[in-house]
Amino acid sequence: MTALILRRLLQLPLVLGLILTITFALLWIIPGNPMENEGRRPSAEVAQAMRRQYQLDQPGSFLAQYAARASGIAWIAGAHPTPFDLGPSMRHPDWSVNEIIAAGFPVSATIGLGAIAIALVVGSIAGVIGGLRPGSWGDGVTQALALVGISVPSFVTGSLLLVLLAAKLRLAPVGGWGTPAHALLPMLTLSLPFAAYIARLLRFGLVDQMQTHHVRTAMAKGLSRRDAALRHALKNAFLPVLSYLGPATAIAMTGSFVVEKVFAVPGLGRHFVDGVLGKDITLVMGVVLVYAALLVLLNLVVDILYAWIDPRIEMAVRPA
Amino acid sequence: MRWTAWIVGALVLLLCVWGWSGGARRADVRVASADVFTLDPQRMTYMQDLRVARALFEGLCCSDPDTGDVVEGVAKSWTVSSDGRCYTFHLRPDARWSNGDPLTAQDFKEAWRRLLLPDLAADYSELLFPVAGARAFFAWRAAQLSAYANGDLHSAQAAEDAWREAIARFDSTVGIEAPDAHTLVVRLEQPVPYWLDICGFQSLSPIHRPTLERFSRIDPETGMLRTEPGWTKPGVLVCNGAMQLADWKYKRSMLLEPNPMYRGAHPAQARSVEILPIEDASTAVLAYESGSIDWVSDLTAEFRAELVNSGRRDVHVLPAFGTDFWSFNCRPTMPDGRPNPFADARVRRAFARAVNKDALVQSVTRLREPVAATLVPPGSIDGYESPAGLSFDLAAARAELAAAGWKDRNADGLVENAAGEVFPPVEMLFMTGNPRVRGIAGALAAMWRDGLGVQCDVRSKDGKFAKEDLRAGNFMIARGGWYGDYLDPTTFLDLSRTGNGNNDRGFSDARFDALLADAERTTDPAQRMRLLADAERLIVEEQMPILPLCRYVTLYMYDPDRLQGIVRTPRLDQRLQRLRMSGSASSPGEDAAP
Repeated sequence: MTALILRRLLQLPLVLGLILTITFALLWIIPGNPMENEGRRPSAEVAQAMRRQYQLDQPGSFLAQYAARASGIAWIAGAHPTPFDLGPSMRHPDWSVNEIIAAGFPVSATIGLGAIAIALVVGSIAGVIGGLRPGSWGDGVTQALALVGISVPSFVTGSLLLVLLAAKLRLAPVGGWGTPAHALLPMLTLSLPFAAYIARLLRFGLVDQMQTHHVRTAMAKGLSRRDAALRHALKNAFLPVLSYLGPATAIAMTGSFVVEKVFAVPGLGRHFVDGVLGKDITLVMGVVLVYAALLVLLNLVVDILYAWIDPRIEMAVRPA
Repeated sequence: MRWTAWIVGALVLLLCVWGWSGGARRADVRVASADVFTLDPQRMTYMQDLRVARALFEGLCCSDPDTGDVVEGVAKSWTVSSDGRCYTFHLRPDARWSNGDPLTAQDFKEAWRRLLLPDLAADYSELLFPVAGARAFFAWRAAQLSAYANGDLHSAQAAEDAWREAIARFDSTVGIEAPDAHTLVVRLEQPVPYWLDICGFQSLSPIHRPTLERFSRIDPETGMLRTEPGWTKPGVLVCNGAMQLADWKYKRSMLLEPNPMYRGAHPAQARSVEILPIEDASTAVLAYESGSIDWVSDLTAEFRAELVNSGRRDVHVLPAFGTDFWSFNCRPTMPDGRPNPFADARVRRAFARAVNKDALVQSVTRLREPVAATLVPPGSIDGYESPAGLSFDLAAARAELAAAGWKDRNADGLVENAAGEVFPPVEMLFMTGNPRVRGIAGALAAMWRDGLGVQCDVRSKDGKFAKEDLRAGNFMIARGGWYGDYLDPTTFLDLSRTGNGNNDRGFSDARFDALLADAERTTDPAQRMRLLADAERLIVEEQMPILPLCRYVTLYMYDPDRLQGIVRTPRLDQRLQRLRMSGSASSPGEDAAP
C-alpha cells in the first residue's frame, strides 16, 4: 500500500509537467492574443508592445519561466519571492491566478461535494429499490427517472429549477453567491446526472450480486431477500460506484461551467471557460494544474478505499 | 455500509452548507452588469469598467452626462493658448484622495506617463498621442526595451538605469508639465478640438502614486515597469471620485460607497451601489423579476425582443453612441489571389442600396433600432450636419451592378460578367454566438439573392478565428460595428483612414485622407465640421467601404418609478453615484450630484 502511494506521488510532478506542456501548446495554437479586446484594436505599435509585455513573442522562455515559478523551483533558487506563483491573470490584471483559484475553488468544491453527497444518497436509494426487485414497478420508475437524469442537460434542469423554485415560488434566491440558500439549487442541478449514474451502476451491480453463490446460499439459509441484499450483496455491488466516485468527485468539485453560469455562481468552472474563451493563458494553465493534481489525488484515494473494502484488490496492484 | 454512506453524505452536505461566511451586505442599488475586468484606469477598455471608473475616479474635467458639455473636474478652470495647442489646467487646491492625501498635478503627470508607457501597453495609449512628443516617446521606450531584452546585460541595476533614462526622456520631450502642485500644462502637436473631452476620459484619471509605487517594480529580465496585481483591491485602492471601493470579490460582487473626501460630498447624494456580474442573460432577467436586482444594465436575453414588444414600462430601448454596420472588403484581391468583386465601389453601392433596413429592424432584430445611412449617429454631435447617405432602392442597385458589368445574361436568375462568369458566392463573415447577428446575416443574404441575383455563403466563425480572417482580409462582407469614444466625428471617421489599425476593410482613398488631414489643420470649428461631413459623404454615398445598418441600442431593465438617476442621452454616460431608489431617504439639493 505504501509503495502504491509513494509511486503515485512520485509520478505526480511528471504527469503535471506533461499536462502543463500540452495545455500550453494547445493554448498557443489558438489564434489571437489575450490582450485583444472585442471591438476596437490598438495600433500596430501598441499591439506589439502588448505581446512584449507578457513575452508572448517568446513562447519557449515564457513556458520555462512559468514552470519555474509555478513549481516553486524559482523560489528555491531565490529568483522569485513566492513559491507556487501562477502569475497574474492576463485578462484580469488586478488578480493573480492564485487569488482567482483560491476564490473560485472553494465555491466549486462546495457545490461539487454537496452535489455528490446528494447524488450518493438519492442514487443509492434508487439503485437499491431497483436492484432488489428487478422488473418491479419501483425498478421501472427509478430507472426511467435515472434515464431522464442522465439525458437532460443541466442547463435545462438548471433553468427549470430557477424559474420554478426561485422566480415563481421564491424558495431560493436567483443566482449569486454568499448564503447557504444560494448553493441549494446549483447543488441539486449538478447532482442529478451523478445520482442517475450511481442509481444505474448500483442497480445492475446488485442484480448481478444477487445471482452469486454466497448470496443465494444466504437466502437458502433463510435470510430474506432484502436482508441478504443489504448484508451480503450491497458491499460488492458498491465497488463500481466507488470507482466512479473518484473521477466524478473531481469533475464535480472543479466546477460545472453550465451550472455556474446559469446560477451566476463565481466558481472555478466558469473562470476556466472564460479563460479559454479569452485566451487567458496563465489562468487556464493554473486551473488545469489544479484540476490535474486533484484528479490524480482523488484516483489515489479511490484506489486506497478499494483495497480497504476488498483486500484482494491490493494483490492485483502490487506485482508491477 | 448503507448507513455509513448516508451519514457521510448528510454530514458533508451540512458541512458544505455551514462551511462559508454568511450573508452579503445589501446595497441600496443593485446593478447587474457584465464582469469588471480591471479597476486600473490606465488599463481599462470595457464599458462596464469605464462606468465604475467614472464613480471611482475624476479627471481634470468631465462631460456633463445630460448635456454632453465639458464641465470642471479636478481642474476648476483652464486656459487655452490662441493657437489651440497649449492647455493650462488649474487644479482645485483642496482636491483630496480618498485617504486624505492632497491631489496634485504630479499625480496626473505620472498617470499620463504610465498610460504612455509601452511597458503597460494600454489599449488607450493612443489617446495621448496628440500630445507633443508623446508618440515619439512611446516608440523610443519600445525601442529601448527591445534593445534591453536583446542585449546581454540583464540586472536590476541595468533595468533601473534604463528606467531612469526613460523618465528623464519623458520629462524633457513630452509636452506634459507640472510647474507647481496645482498647475498642469499640456502642449499638443497640433490643435485637437475635442481635447477637453479626451481629458475627461477615464484612462486619463490620476493615480495615487504612493499606493502604486508599492506594487511596482522594474523587471530585471525585460527591463519593464511591472505593476503587480493588488493595488486596486478594496482597502488598498485610493481613489478621488465620488465613490470608493468598499468590497470586490472576483466575478462575484463589487460594492461602492460614497467617498467622504470627495468635494461637495453630501451624505444623501451617492448611495451604496452593488454590482453583480450575472453572465447568463436570462438569469439576470429572473433576478430582476424576483427583486434581487434593480437595474439590468445590459439586457441581452434572447427573448428581449418579446420583452420590448410586450410594452412593459420597465424595459427601455435607448439609442447608443454607436453604429451597427457591415464591412465590404475593399482590397483588390482575396488572400488566395482570387479577384475581389467588392474592390469596385459600384458593386459596394449596389449591395448597400439593395438592403431594406426597415424590414431588418422590424422583423429580424424586432427591436426597431433607428436605421442608419451614415456612420456618425446623426444629431449626436453639435454643429455636425450628417450627409444623407444612400437609401433603399432596388432599381438603382441593379443599375449600379449592371454598370459594374454584372447582369443576368442567361436569364437563370444569377448575374454574370461579360465573360459569362457567375458572380462569385459572397463570403459573409461573422462571429458565432450572437443570434441577432445570425438573423441579420441570413436576412441580408436573402435580400441580395432576391434583389441582385447573387449567391451568398454565410460563414460564422468563433471569435478569435473570425478576427484573424478580418485582419487578413479573408472575407467579402463581414459584420462590423463601432462605438464612439469621444464626442467628435473623427472617432468614427478615423476607421476608414488608410492604414488605421481598425480599418478591417483595407479601404484607402487619397481624397478621404486629405479631407481628414485638412480638417486637422483647420482652426475654424465650423469649417472643420464641414470638411468632416464631406469626408463622411465620401464614404457613405460614394465609396461605401461600410454598409451602415442601424444605430446600436442598449436595453435597460429598471422600474422608472423606483430607480432614479439613469441617463438617457446618446452617450449613455451613466454615473453610478447618481443612482438612487425613490422612497429611500433623500434631502433637498441632491440633484447637484456631479
